Amino acid sequence: MDERNGLHHPVIKPCLRALMLLAACLAPVTPLQAMDVATLIRHIDRLWRGETSHARMSMTVKTRHYERSMTMEAWSMGKAYSLVVIREPIKERGVATLKVEANIWNYLPKINRVVRVPSSMMSGSWMGSHFTNDDLVRESTFEDDYDSSITYEGVRDGRRIYELTALPKPDAAVVWGKVVMLIEQETLAPFRARYYDEEGRLVRTIDFDRQQRVGERMVPMRMTLQPEEKPDESTVILYQEIAFGVPLDKGFFSLQNLKARR
Amino acid sequence: MSKALEAITAGSAPGRITLLLYIGWRNIWRNPVRSLLTISALAGGLVMVILYAALLEGMNRQMVRHATELGSGHIQIHRQGYIDDQDLYATLPWRYLRRIESEVSGVHVAPRLYAAALASTREASYGVLIRAIDPQREPLVTTMLRHIRSGTPELGMAAPGSDGLPRERVIVGAQLARNMGIAPGSELIVVTQAADGSIGNALYRVSAVLKPLEPGFDRMGVLISIDSYQRLMALESGFQELAVKVNDPSRVDLLRQQLSALCDRVLDEMPLEQDGGRPVVRTWRELNPSVSDLLELSGTFLLIVGAIVVGLASLGMLNTMLMAVHERTHEFGILLSIGMKPRWLLLMVFFESLLLALVAALSGSLLGSLAAGYFERHGIDFSRTLPEGYDWAGIVFEPVISATLRPMDVLYASLLMVAVTLLAALIPSWRAVRLKPAEIMR
Repeated sequence: MDERNGLHHPVIKPCLRALMLLAACLAPVTPLQAMDVATLIRHIDRLWRGETSHARMSMTVKTRHYERSMTMEAWSMGKAYSLVVIREPIKERGVATLKVEANIWNYLPKINRVVRVPSSMMSGSWMGSHFTNDDLVRESTFEDDYDSSITYEGVRDGRRIYELTALPKPDAAVVWGKVVMLIEQETLAPFRARYYDEEGRLVRTIDFDRQQRVGERMVPMRMTLQPEEKPDESTVILYQEIAFGVPLDKGFFSLQNLKARR
Repeated sequence: MSKALEAITAGSAPGRITLLLYIGWRNIWRNPVRSLLTISALAGGLVMVILYAALLEGMNRQMVRHATELGSGHIQIHRQGYIDDQDLYATLPWRYLRRIESEVSGVHVAPRLYAAALASTREASYGVLIRAIDPQREPLVTTMLRHIRSGTPELGMAAPGSDGLPRERVIVGAQLARNMGIAPGSELIVVTQAADGSIGNALYRVSAVLKPLEPGFDRMGVLISIDSYQRLMALESGFQELAVKVNDPSRVDLLRQQLSALCDRVLDEMPLEQDGGRPVVRTWRELNPSVSDLLELSGTFLLIVGAIVVGLASLGMLNTMLMAVHERTHEFGILLSIGMKPRWLLLMVFFESLLLALVAALSGSLLGSLAAGYFERHGIDFSRTLPEGYDWAGIVFEPVISATLRPMDVLYASLLMVAVTLLAALIPSWRAVRLKPAEIMR
């Protein structure tokens, strides 16, 4: 039913970015060709817009104080729209997050209310994970806010990789000082992303693994976020299934649907 | 005069002093108008100092009362982790509360919990600080729940609304209520990250709005019950703060030691997990360093202002006595030439000053105490000139400042005045001694 020609799971920026990149790399360019960053970014941009996805996934969060896992269903359209609904645990069933452009709303079924996340709370945790609300929103401006370049191309640790380094543009209001992504040349699947703060300190690492073929490309189905300062904490997102090119329109990503989707 | 001189020269030392005192007293009234003016200047200065001391003390007490009765209590217990960075999870288990209640006498305790949250009405969202209290215990420790501007201070579950959704009751800080445009009866949605990582959310109905307590709380604070907090935050392991009221405030330091020892004992019996740190017992002086600094500062202020006022008044005294000595130069010359010893002359002038000072001290402290007593009963109302919830360095002032008269203040002020005037009296006395009879009589 779907074209399976793009991977944009929307929920989480790093994942998105990784997958976005992957999608771009996989599409019209032959994998073994030398990568041109401009082409890469243009492809990401072109492939992203109008693209839709539908996924089921689980998220496991481990912190010093709690461990929680939940299953979620998510839809996305382009880079601007996404909707995530929690399916389990029962206590939180129906809690939903809607993202439209740079706005985030949460729907809370227990009190039957929709609450907009104000800008002051954007750096707060999303659903108790190590991802922030900002992570959901920022990815849409990532290409505009960062200058990317391939900083390494060749064999490292026995595999052929591209190292893509993204630096914020001088006047961009961004969280990170630098993001480095490592991509496998053969599959063009990212396998690691490192996030640095403005002082150049490593803040978090996301590992991507369990590649699976979805349509024409290799998609890492698991991503593991590791905060640098808390080695015993992590957030793991595991995709059970993901499909692209599902029929969705803008009306789907509305406050009315946010309530109705539970 | 010569008889008196005889008595001075021949008599015993005590008799001589009595006589010199008597002469000094008589001398004062040789020019009653001048003396009375001097006395009233000195007494007036003293009245000012006493009144100032009483008002300052009244303000200080009010400040301490604000700091302790309204919010902090006399002593608080937290874990180090909570003190350092308001770590949500740095709770003290409930057994600490039970042990303190059963083993320490002369105190009342109230447990509290805090959390940052987002509070929304249909129109606006604000970041708030939730303070969860025990509605039964809190009134025994602080008067927070009586400090209500509107509504009734009830907490816990409220009647469900027409939509059948459960609602809990919340009391809102003064400034926050104004900013959000809410009043008793308004609905408030509270969303936060619960202790188990889920999105804590609940519907609240505002039951009351507080009067100003402290600027931070007025702007951001909401009060809910500990039961509501536990449902919202999924955090039942204990409390973050224990406010302690000491029935006899003079025993604060003693009880702090007792509580500290008890906490150490309970900790030894069953260690806590490392992250939250040890329990720490602190008094209100440590909790409100600005208040205790201000108290110390005001003592210094009082001394400086007192010294200035009394010093000025004693200049009047100096002038009077210089005039008195000057007028009587001739008389003193005669006295000296018929055998009066210069040191007796000095003593006589000195006694004259002392008696002036004593009369002024007596009348001044009497009038000052009366005035302070009046303001103790009536207070000075600044509510027209001060904005509501006016604070200085984070300490809210009540608009009506009433004086508190401390007998020791009156005594110290009088002593200060007598001492300063006697110092001033040394100059004219000295001049009397230096007189050379031969030159004067010529």
